[in-house]
Amino acid sequence: MTELRELQEVIDVCSQLKAVACCDFVGLAIQNKVGPDVRWHYAIGNLNDKYKRITVRFGKGIAGKIISSGSPMMMTDFPHDILGKMTDYPIALAEKLVSSYAVPIFFNHVPKGVLLVGKREKYSFSEEEQEKVKASALSLEQILKKHLL
Amino acid sequence: MERIQPKEQISSYIIQSQEEEIKRISEELHEGVGQNLYSILTGLQYVKSGVGEPNMKNYLEEMEQLIEKTIQEIRLLSVELHPPVLTTLGLLPAVKSYLTLYTSTFGILVDLESTGEEKVLPEKNSIAVFRVCQEALTNIVKYADTSNVKMSFIWTEDKLEITIIDFGNGFQLEEYTDDNYASGIAAMKERMLLTGGKCLISSKIGEGTSIELSLPL
Repeated sequence: MTELRELQEVIDVCSQLKAVACCDFVGLAIQNKVGPDVRWHYAIGNLNDKYKRITVRFGKGIAGKIISSGSPMMMTDFPHDILGKMTDYPIALAEKLVSSYAVPIFFNHVPKGVLLVGKREKYSFSEEEQEKVKASALSLEQILKKHLL
Repeated sequence: MERIQPKEQISSYIIQSQEEEIKRISEELHEGVGQNLYSILTGLQYVKSGVGEPNMKNYLEEMEQLIEKTIQEIRLLSVELHPPVLTTLGLLPAVKSYLTLYTSTFGILVDLESTGEEKVLPEKNSIAVFRVCQEALTNIVKYADTSNVKMSFIWTEDKLEITIIDFGNGFQLEEYTDDNYASGIAAMKERMLLTGGKCLISSKIGEGTSIELSLPL
């Protein structure tokens, strides 16, 4: 797989999203071409490179829950408004995200990735911001289709 | 007349009962649920090989992947609860296996070094030390804000010394008197005491935290 972080179109979509959603962090997790592992392939606004080593666990944390359910998810005050343990949310811990909103990225109608925006303060993402994240996820689906399928 | 058990004996009994239950659940997940899912996966692969219709084949492939992910998660959950290598191969291999999972879950790199000849520990002590290491590493994820940890095992004739240094934020021990963190630290010390060992914690703001465990062999 071409490294997604090297794709200019991916970088552009994520950078624009970071600006319009006024967030601190944007991360893109995608399932590997071979095997069931989902990894964070690209991030901007990151504080460190932990995201590169994190493998998303199916059904765990914000990204894992999105991949397993196929539905968007929002956290407004991590670690106070979560299901499960705080260690079930590695990307929030690694990047000190207090609020985040994430949506699935579909390939052939199956959730294969996650686009996540996050802030390092308490926040509730507005309907308008949520729509922007969804629109960016749709653009990424189109861009990534030719690289992943 | 009812005989009052010493506090240590009661704590030890409660911990041991909990550990036995955790081990049972872990084995049930691995040997029971995991094996059944694997049988379902094999059956599904057999069905898929006989299906020609492309849409149905795709659907079966997605089902296959979903079961694979579930098997993987069950395996990780089981290892997290009670690593089977702790019983079969001992403390050091169990810690190594846990560190692989730790890095892939939290992105924190752990540099592990072991010097001296590795000894076989009684299972009760292996579990206690393993749990204390797990707690220390979990605290690092939650509070230390670091990407690198150094862990060393030093085996001598009469004792095992383990040091965990996180190079993170550090903290002032006096400030943590009432919260979960303080309880976690107290539990680590208590567990080491019950094995006849010791747990020393030192920390400096801006320089990180160091945990020194010592266990007589």
